[in-house]
Amino acid sequence: MTRTEHRILRPAEHILDEFPERTEFDVVVIGGGPNGLIAAAYLARAGLRVALVERRQEIGGGLSTEETLFPGYYTNPHAFYHMMTDYLPVLSDFDLRAHGLYFVKPNAQAAALFSDASSLMLCHQIEDTKDSLAKASPSDAAAFGRVMRTWRRIVEDLLAPGTYLPALSPIDMIESLERTDVGREALRLTEMSPVEIIDETFEDDRVRALMLYVACMWGLDPRESGLGFMVPLMIDRAMNKAQCYGGSHKLAGSLSREIHKAGGVVLDNAEVTRIVVAQGAVTGVECFDGRFLGAKAVLSSLAPPLTFGKLIDRSEVPEEMSEAAEHWEWDKWSLCTLALATTADPRFEVDDPWVNDALMVVLGFDSTEDVLGHYDAVATGELGDRLGGHATVETRYDPTLARISGHHVSFLQIHAPYDVEGGWETRGAEISDELLELWRRHQPGLGDSEIVLRSLETPVDIETRIASMVRGSIKHGDYNPLQMGAFRPSASCVAGRSPIAGLYLCGASSYPGGLVIGGPGYIAAGSVVEDMGVAPWWQAPSFVRRYQEQYLS
Amino acid sequence: MCGCLAGWGVHVHDERFDVVVIGGGHNGSTIAAYLAKSGLSTCVLEARPECGGGQENTEVRPGFRIDPHATYLYGGAAPGFDQLELWKYGMRMVYYPSMAGLVTLDGQAANMGSRWRPDLAEESLARYSPADQGGTGRIFDELGEEGSRDLLRALFWTPPLPPKMEMDPADMPWWKVFRERLPQFWFDQLLDMNYLDFLDEFVHWEPLKVLSAIGAWYCGAHPAWDGMMLQALGGTLLFNYASGAPRGGMHTYAHAIVRCALAHGARIITNAPVGEIVIRDGRAVGVRLSDDAAFGEKTIWADKAVISAIDVQHTFLDVIGQRHLDPSFRQRISDISLKGGSLFVMSVICRELPRYHGRADAFPDEVYPSCVVAPADSLEWVRIQTRDSYSTRTGPATLEPEHLTMMICTHDVYDSTRSVDGFHVLSPIYLEMPPPEYDVHGPDGVNRQKEEITRAALGLLERLAPNMTGENIVDVFVNTPQDSEFRNTGLVGGNWYGIRQSEDQWFGNRPLPELGRYRTPIDGLYLCNQTSHPGGLCLMAVPYNLMHVLIEDGIADPGSWWYPSSFYVPDPSAQRGAAS
Repeated sequence: MTRTEHRILRPAEHILDEFPERTEFDVVVIGGGPNGLIAAAYLARAGLRVALVERRQEIGGGLSTEETLFPGYYTNPHAFYHMMTDYLPVLSDFDLRAHGLYFVKPNAQAAALFSDASSLMLCHQIEDTKDSLAKASPSDAAAFGRVMRTWRRIVEDLLAPGTYLPALSPIDMIESLERTDVGREALRLTEMSPVEIIDETFEDDRVRALMLYVACMWGLDPRESGLGFMVPLMIDRAMNKAQCYGGSHKLAGSLSREIHKAGGVVLDNAEVTRIVVAQGAVTGVECFDGRFLGAKAVLSSLAPPLTFGKLIDRSEVPEEMSEAAEHWEWDKWSLCTLALATTADPRFEVDDPWVNDALMVVLGFDSTEDVLGHYDAVATGELGDRLGGHATVETRYDPTLARISGHHVSFLQIHAPYDVEGGWETRGAEISDELLELWRRHQPGLGDSEIVLRSLETPVDIETRIASMVRGSIKHGDYNPLQMGAFRPSASCVAGRSPIAGLYLCGASSYPGGLVIGGPGYIAAGSVVEDMGVAPWWQAPSFVRRYQEQYLS
Repeated sequence: MCGCLAGWGVHVHDERFDVVVIGGGHNGSTIAAYLAKSGLSTCVLEARPECGGGQENTEVRPGFRIDPHATYLYGGAAPGFDQLELWKYGMRMVYYPSMAGLVTLDGQAANMGSRWRPDLAEESLARYSPADQGGTGRIFDELGEEGSRDLLRALFWTPPLPPKMEMDPADMPWWKVFRERLPQFWFDQLLDMNYLDFLDEFVHWEPLKVLSAIGAWYCGAHPAWDGMMLQALGGTLLFNYASGAPRGGMHTYAHAIVRCALAHGARIITNAPVGEIVIRDGRAVGVRLSDDAAFGEKTIWADKAVISAIDVQHTFLDVIGQRHLDPSFRQRISDISLKGGSLFVMSVICRELPRYHGRADAFPDEVYPSCVVAPADSLEWVRIQTRDSYSTRTGPATLEPEHLTMMICTHDVYDSTRSVDGFHVLSPIYLEMPPPEYDVHGPDGVNRQKEEITRAALGLLERLAPNMTGENIVDVFVNTPQDSEFRNTGLVGGNWYGIRQSEDQWFGNRPLPELGRYRTPIDGLYLCNQTSHPGGLCLMAVPYNLMHVLIEDGIADPGSWWYPSSFYVPDPSAQRGAAS
């Protein structure tokens, strides 16, 4: 028998006051992930009456820290590091550090560990990276130094500011980038595929393997052109990853505190089942338990197939949005993660002991061919002949995750298709064993007696935990040229405004995308205050203003 | 309040508040909400990444949320819901048509319903024990809504008497209410009774006695503790009073409290374990965070009060320098008994609910008892388990049924947010164990037996409900008392109420007579943890009671939203005026 909510008992006697059946707000935000939280926090501080409604018990979405290794060991099953802490306006606008929110950004950022126990490192400091690359190829070390001078400017001058401003149309984008050398280089790269960019830049195949993996690991197709400008972004940000001390959920908690401080409401365990639209304008949302929250503006952080395909009456959905919903492509691949709680500090057998300090260690790929084979396989729904992925000791920089001092929490994550052949339920155990074997190949000391607990989170698990990540889509939708830039999620949605009056889109499926970069929520909040005639209390950060002056004026 | 040199990671000014609260568990966050609403600048320092303490729900497996500690809303009668207006912060309930049932090994299965469906109990008693119809089960009906609230508030939401004040036991607030409201149940000997005596007097059917006794053990005073009959009964009344749980689980209730505190301006800092309470001239003036706290500024000053919302032993043995305390006091602190409610908690994910004795109609889905006590055959078995936990101080001596009477809870029958369609979560399944500190086999004694006990308990469950096979069971998670202490250092002894709720440690004696009114030998330092009266269960009661004392001491001056307990006796000698 399926459980249904009609069994809710409404006792005659009054026990305690509850959140009312009907409420009215200025703004209702659907989904308490990073973008929903950011939008709600800005709008609440702007003096609007804001309610954020979340299906799960904990807000945070991908900003989750969960006791997946029960009892006593916490992991960050989604965003385990943050790549935009240098830029995220919300961190400084709300002075979140005052809550004790700290990000640890180690110099040892990433490493690739090869089958012969040799290694390469990608450090925060360029010279340290060059020192490591020089082991394989002195000329690649030099090339890296050269190319990063441009790539860092592409990020600093163009992409980081662009993250927090509405998308430009392709024509406007070309016009503005043509103004500078850096812009023209970004345009040139755009027309190339990641593998072409990496091949053009580096000679040594192991250097190429590391760079290609890092460039594509969050969802770029290595062979597809049109998004090449993201290669500098992904590599530069791979050198600037920061871990949230106390777990990624702390960032969510800090944002939620800002909402409460400003008088906003967060309603959790409250899945939205309907966005109510009347005469082309939103009037509010309905929750699974029958509660109705009225609103002048509704911000949905869900992807088009959910927002327009499920939550709004079909008759109220404009043609272009039904189409966007219908043609939406979910992420090319998802993730499968083996997490371990261990009594000892896991150490790799490697030529450079510093690799053990890296926030992330890439395992299993010795060549470009290996990396391409891996991404090709996953994109076509297979796991490939040889497993490879990235490993992190989460407690290295955040000991709070293990409740027994001295113990460690680590994971090995691989890209994985949602529809794995045979199904995850059947194959989970076997894949878990294979992952452990891969790990042990590089860490012979990782014996059974060291492992206290282990757990596997598959793409299906991702969707189960976080329903908005349909088919395990951590970015709410594929990164491909037709779903990026001004086309994310649709050319008819500009600056987060949907064609339905009062309905805004503020999630990872909107420009500029996912991965906790915080752009969609920030941009949508800006549009809402503008449309409501409320003065924004914040102003664009200086790096954004510089870009506006140089490229948009 | 704090200046920050951006980019340096260093706070240049001290943090200063009116009140600093150590610990953001249930009681710490509630007192912070009360004080912030009273207009005081309040800071909560929580060691863990998340507030809420024992009000936890954990999604151990995607889509499935378990209750590792607290599980029902016992605090329905708390003035806090009204005073703090928790509804504004998302407080919602799910009320259950059936709260409790019992199952015996010899084939009986009785649904005792809930206050919302008294007909279920009547039907069961008509079948199994007509003599018990109109018995103690009727106490709730006799008391009615107002009387129940009154009795519960007298027991739990009343600050202990001023020190040295004497009162005839029969005049204690709870007995007064009892005598007035339930004269037909009153006689003098009740005062000295334990709950087992009471059950012998008023209940006929053995399994019903077991249900009541186990209910009391897990919700109130142990049924064998003398002089605590009404406290034991009170625990079960608390359980019945709301007959339900917060939507989504107990952590949602914690969210409402924490959000209320934030909305009134409280500052909450997580990952901030306290290393030491700063004491000057015998007065608590602030706290120093421990070196591993994730917060740049390590000293936080309290102008008016430091409130320790961590347990009494950690307070006096860890975070107060021993130079401030005399050895006799320290000894008394370490002698406080932790025996009581150390829980071995199992959580089982399964496809089908247990079908006891193979009968689907034993408990139909729409009235499935949220909590089943099984096997409820014999009160002697409760005594045996008590001896295991307290006297021999070991886990179950053997793994036979007489050592393994369980309380098996399921919430997802009534709350779909807790699991995935097509599955159920039985969580928690409680078994009492000795506290690790008392285990004769060492603190990890039970942990070493963890798999064995789990297997035996699940084997017994299968004997009672033949569909609970390995195929039906998808996953099992266990936290022992020691695990609970590791996960959540505030849960001393892995104990649901911190320290024993016996007469020696109840009301003005809790945790010690000189600490009974939440004040301490250190000026400006107050206690606000379940190790003070009235103990655990997330009642918002310790903070409510403490508020009376903070008002007496001139620290808090709440607005018109505040009302004291109608049983409150002001302390004539405590008119200290505003703390300077």
